[in-house]
Amino acid sequence: MTDEKKINIVLAGQPNSGKSVVFNFLTGLHQHIGNWPGKTIEKKEGTLFYKGYTIDVLDLPGIYSFTTYSGEEVISREYIIHQKPDFVINIIDSTNLERNLIFTLQLLELECPVIIALNMVDLAKRKGMTIDYNKLQDILNTSVIPTIASRGYGLTGMIDIIIETAGQKRHHEIPRYGKEIENCIEQLSLILNNYELLYPARWIAIKLIEKDNDITRLVNEICPDILEKAKELSENLEEIHGHDSSIVIADERSHMAFQITREITTITSYKKAPVSDRLDSITTHKFAGYIVMIFILGGMFYTVFSFGNWLSGWLDTIFKNLHSWWNSNIGITFFAALVWSAIESIIALVQIALPYILPFYIILYALEDWGYISRIAFLMDNLMHKMGIHGKGCISFIIGLGCNVPGCLSCRILETRRERFITAILVTLVPCSAVSVIVFGLVGKYVGLLWALGLYLFAMILIFIAGRISSRLLSGEPVELIMPMPDYKTPNVKTIVYQTWDALKEFIFIAAPIVIISGVIIQAINLAGWLPAISSFLSPITVNWLGLPAITGILLIFGILRKELILVMLAAYLGTANFSDVLNAQQMITLAIVSMFYIPCVATISVLWKDYGWKKALTICILEILFAIILAGIVKRIIDIVL
Amino acid sequence: MNAETDKISLMKLADGQKGIIITILGGKSASKRLADLGLTPGVEISVIGRTLFSGPVQVEAGGSRLVLGRGLASKIIVALK
Repeated sequence: MTDEKKINIVLAGQPNSGKSVVFNFLTGLHQHIGNWPGKTIEKKEGTLFYKGYTIDVLDLPGIYSFTTYSGEEVISREYIIHQKPDFVINIIDSTNLERNLIFTLQLLELECPVIIALNMVDLAKRKGMTIDYNKLQDILNTSVIPTIASRGYGLTGMIDIIIETAGQKRHHEIPRYGKEIENCIEQLSLILNNYELLYPARWIAIKLIEKDNDITRLVNEICPDILEKAKELSENLEEIHGHDSSIVIADERSHMAFQITREITTITSYKKAPVSDRLDSITTHKFAGYIVMIFILGGMFYTVFSFGNWLSGWLDTIFKNLHSWWNSNIGITFFAALVWSAIESIIALVQIALPYILPFYIILYALEDWGYISRIAFLMDNLMHKMGIHGKGCISFIIGLGCNVPGCLSCRILETRRERFITAILVTLVPCSAVSVIVFGLVGKYVGLLWALGLYLFAMILIFIAGRISSRLLSGEPVELIMPMPDYKTPNVKTIVYQTWDALKEFIFIAAPIVIISGVIIQAINLAGWLPAISSFLSPITVNWLGLPAITGILLIFGILRKELILVMLAAYLGTANFSDVLNAQQMITLAIVSMFYIPCVATISVLWKDYGWKKALTICILEILFAIILAGIVKRIIDIVL
Repeated sequence: MNAETDKISLMKLADGQKGIIITILGGKSASKRLADLGLTPGVEISVIGRTLFSGPVQVEAGGSRLVLGRGLASKIIVALK
C-alpha cells in the first residue's frame, strides 16, 4: 500500500490542449525535466504540496492516440498501464471538443481512473459554444471540471476532487461500439480472460482487432491461437465495412465523439472573433501570408541581433576585465592558462546563450503560443516537401539561424527518424548567429553588404540542394503533413518563461561539457607550441588550394569550438581588427564560405552524436569538411576568373 | 442522380466548398492518423484555404481546423455537398 497522503497523477491530452500550462500551475518550481529512459522524449515530472498531501504530477507527451505510431504514444500507454497512477487527468481543448474526445475515449478504454479537465472554456464561449459539462459527466460517468488553465481557474477545485475521491473505487463508462464490433471484442475477451495479462482483456481484444503490432507480438508469446481467431474476426469485419478493421474501430470512435459533442454542446451564436478571423486569413493568405511572414521573421532577427550585439559588447568588456584580473592575480603559468581556457569556454557559452539564444527563444515561444508557428509550417510545407521533409521542419531551420544546437534539438518534434535526421543535417548548414558575425563582420563590412546577403542566398540554395540529395539517398517514404491549426490566442507569459528556461537549460547542459573539454584540449595544444606545426601541415589546403594566409589553419581549428572565434582570433593574431590590411576581398569571401560550411561546431556535433549516434555525427563532419574545402576552392577560382 | 461523378479528391474542392468524406485511398497508416484526428468516412469536411502552387490545404472538420499535405489531401475522396 502506498502512503495515504501520497497521490500520483498523470496529465494526458492532445497537443495544444493546455497541458503544460496546467502542469506549470500545479507544480510551479517543483519540477524536474529529464528524458524517458533510452529515449530522446522529454519526461516532465513535478510535485504539488497541497492540504498535507504530496501529489506527484507527471506530464505525458501530447499525443492524438494510443497506437504505436510514435514513441510518445507507446510510452504513454505503457506508463498508464504499468505504473497505475491514482488518476489520469485528461485535459481537453474545449474549442476542439470533438477531436479531443476521440482521445478521451481511448483513455477510457485503458480502464484507468480518468478525470476530465474541460480546458479553455472561455475561448469556447467566445466561439459561441456552450458545453453542458454535467451531461458529459453523466455520459462518461466520470468527473468533468471546466477550467481556464491560463488563469488557474478550476484547477484548485480539480485537485480538491482528486483528494476527496483518492482511494475510492471508480467505475467510469467504458466506450461501447456497434453490435458487430462488440461481438468480436466479447469473443476475444472470453478467451483472454483465461490468461494472466498486464492489460485489461477488453483493451487487448480491441487492439488485436486494430492489428496493433506490440500487442499482437505480446499475445503471440502467450497464446498464438487467439491471433488466429482475431484474424478471422477482423476479416469478417472488413468484409462488412469494406475497409481495414483498424479503420472500422477508429471510425466508430470518431462517430461516438461526434455524437457526444452534439449532445452536450449548443452553438448559441456562431460568430468567430472578427479580429482573429481576419488576422488568420491574412497570415495564411496565398500572397500576403508570405509577406507577413518575412516581416515577422525579419523583425524577430533584427530584434535578436540588435539586442544581442549590444549585450554581447557589454559582456565582452566585463570578461576582458575579468581576464586581466586573472592574469595579474593568478599569473600566467601553464596551469593557470589551462584553467582560464576552461573558464573562457564557459564565458563563450554565456556570451552566446544570454545575448542571442535567450531573446531568440522568448520570441520564438511567444510566436508559438500565439499560434503563428503553425502558420509558418503551413506556408512553407510546399517548399520543404521538395527537400523530403514537411512544413514543420522549417521551424528547426528558423531556430538554427539563431543557433544550430537548439535547431538540431528541435528536430525531435518531427514524426520519423528519417525526417529528423535529414532536417538535422540541413540545420547544420544553416548560418547561425556566430556565422553571421563572420559573414557580416568580414564580407559585409569590407566587401559589401550585397555580397554578404549573396552568401546567405547561396547558403539557402545549398541547403535546398543538400535536402534534395539527402532525401534521395536516405531510404524511406516522406511523411505528409498532418497538423491541427490552432486558433490565435493571447500568449501566456508564464508558459513562455517556463519553455524558455527549459530550452536554455538543455542548451547549457548539452553544450557545456564538450565545449569546455575541447577548449582545454585546444589550449593545451597551443601552449605546447604545436599550432605552428599544424598550420604548416594544413598549408597545402589553406594556402595552396584556398589562397588564404597560413594562419587560417589555426583559426579554423579554434572555429570548431565556436565559429566567431575565427574572426576574434584573426584579429588577435594579426594585431589588427582592420581585416582589409591582411585579407583581400577574394580571401574574405573564401574564408567566409569555409567558415559557413566546414564543420558544425562542437556543441552541435554533440547533439548529433547524442540523437543519431557517433557514426552519423562523424560522417556529417567529414562530408562537410570535404565539401566546404572543395566548394571554397572552386569559388576562389571562379572569382579569380571573374574579377 | 449521378453519384459517381460527384466523387472527387479533396484537392479539387474550391476554397469554401464542402464535401463528405467517402473514402481514403492509400496506406493504412495515413488513414489511421487521419482517423485519430476525426477524419473518417461520413465526416463533413470543408476547404478553408491553400498555399501557392496547390500546396497543403487547410480544412475544417468536426469543429477543428487541420492542415493536410498535398499528397495526403489528394488521397481523400469526397462527395460534393
